Amino acid sequence: MEHVELFFKSIFIDNMVFATFLGMCSYLAVSKKVSTAIGLGAAVIFVLGITVPLNWLLDQYILQEGALAWLGPEFASYDLSFLSFIMFIATIATMVQLVEIVVEKFSPALYNSLGIFLPLIAVNCAILGGSLFMQSREIASLGLAFNYGVSSGIGWFLAILAIAAIREKIRYSSVPAPLRGLGITFIITGLMAIGFMSFGGMLTGGDDAVAKEDSAVEVKIEEEKENKTIADNTAQLIQ
Amino acid sequence: MALKEKLHTLKEKYRGTKMAPAFNALHTFLYLPNETTHNGTHIKAADDLKRTMNTVILALVPCLLFGMFNAGYQHYAALGQPVDFLSWDSLYIGIIKVLPLVVVSYGVGLAIEFLFAVIKGHEVEEGYLVTGMLVPLIVPIDLPLWMLAVAVAFGVVIGKEVFGGTGMNILNPALTIRAFLFFAYPTWMSGDKVWVHGAVERAGTADAISGETILGSYAQNQEVLYSLSDMFYGFIPGSIGETSKLLIILGGLFLIFTKVGSWRIMLSTIIGALVMGLIFNGVVDAGWIGETSKFYGLMSVPFWQHLIIGSILFGAVYMATDPVTASQTNKGKWIYGFLIGFISIMIRVFNPAYPEGVFLAILLMNVFAPTIDHYVIQANIKKRMKRLKPNVA
Repeated sequence: MEHVELFFKSIFIDNMVFATFLGMCSYLAVSKKVSTAIGLGAAVIFVLGITVPLNWLLDQYILQEGALAWLGPEFASYDLSFLSFIMFIATIATMVQLVEIVVEKFSPALYNSLGIFLPLIAVNCAILGGSLFMQSREIASLGLAFNYGVSSGIGWFLAILAIAAIREKIRYSSVPAPLRGLGITFIITGLMAIGFMSFGGMLTGGDDAVAKEDSAVEVKIEEEKENKTIADNTAQLIQ
Repeated sequence: MALKEKLHTLKEKYRGTKMAPAFNALHTFLYLPNETTHNGTHIKAADDLKRTMNTVILALVPCLLFGMFNAGYQHYAALGQPVDFLSWDSLYIGIIKVLPLVVVSYGVGLAIEFLFAVIKGHEVEEGYLVTGMLVPLIVPIDLPLWMLAVAVAFGVVIGKEVFGGTGMNILNPALTIRAFLFFAYPTWMSGDKVWVHGAVERAGTADAISGETILGSYAQNQEVLYSLSDMFYGFIPGSIGETSKLLIILGGLFLIFTKVGSWRIMLSTIIGALVMGLIFNGVVDAGWIGETSKFYGLMSVPFWQHLIIGSILFGAVYMATDPVTASQTNKGKWIYGFLIGFISIMIRVFNPAYPEGVFLAILLMNVFAPTIDHYVIQANIKKRMKRLKPNVA
């Protein structure tokens, strides 16, 4: 039950893109075509599925306060959690290199279409975010950590798949010139986040969820306005 | 005739200028243009956008009228001085409360449409006609008019015009407007006080009106005050247009008969809702959930009753079938509708943050409709390639 709950929670409720707005750079850049979006989404699932449990092990046995107790009682007071960022990033970078080698070997077409974005997964905030959320939410076991990694990846995959299909659909829409490209993508993302609000508050229950919802939405709407101004500014810059 | 000629001369006067679309639109909204194309082949068909939109509006008018009567009926019933349903007293409340909502919705929305048409230099599109009618039907009666105006502006600009206008949007504009209202002004959009006229002002005073909603009563394991026939015919508080299931069904049949609405989506939405209801009933029957659970009340509602409480039917008939934002492929429509019904009931039962989830479920499936279409089309391509292959080899 715990597993099922975590699974659905990380796909729909705490969706990486729509709830925390993580991993936006590759989400915006590689979502022009469904086929490449699927490739990148699968890569993200894979990398998250590996790095989160690995980082969980690191966190449990090296980084946490008292994690080094297994070396001997004199190490029990050590707290290496200030190293988590650098350790997590090192793990992620290594794993991404590995994925890159594997993909280049087995699927050159995908490798070519992903281009620069595969190495960029290394700095994709969704990946680091996954590990850091795993740490701060105190995921209890290795199995749950793996579950969390994979399901967050699936959530991100669904998001990029949906927006890629939408962008293919609106390819022939007469979007006002200043909004074409990234501008309209930001707006679509905001609107999609409204759709994903349907799951907000589920499983958590209670009235405090309602209160939280409200403030979250206000932030989101402001964010949308901000996105619009950002898009306008970039459009002006480009011109 | 004088008006027609005046409009015609105005149209001729502004022909070719920036304001031309606005006058063209005024002319064609009211009269049939008698211009024809002179060269090239063209198809003569009566079911243009204007006709389609008018059909939907026609199907909505009974709901609106019923909503107007019901507004007054519920108001007086809650005050403890019941009046006849079809009486001037109840219609009067309807006129002073509901008509302003309609006027503001159309006024603001069409003004923005005209503005965009003039700026972008294309003809005014009829897309807002239906949205403008739907919006007053899905809001609580005491909603302040300025809130409606703000929401309509948001919905039309962000929900539709930035995508290039009618036919290009990805989310249903009417539901975008409702979602905006719901998240921006939650106290005006949900709870047990907003559905009957006058309940908000009286809250906390001696003659307060208690307007416990049906879904609210179920969720709290309380006795429901309304009979099933009341729910079906619509003599219950609720959003203005969604109470009368009978009229919605008639409107739906009308839409199916005129082929404006997709019967696949309506049917599959209802099937989806029934399946989810059955699953919940099964969970209760199997004893997996105790009577103390906060989900027990809504889960134990007989599955078919989910259709006559809340707004699932209204959503299925008028919202999910929006041809722009729904799935375009026939197979996709089945999947799309089924998931709408399924998720609607899931949100209704499972999500304590929202009393009713139909509009969010439809928005969510609007988001995924292009994905569904993509896969249906890919599957078709694959199937036909397979069929082709033996011939090639």
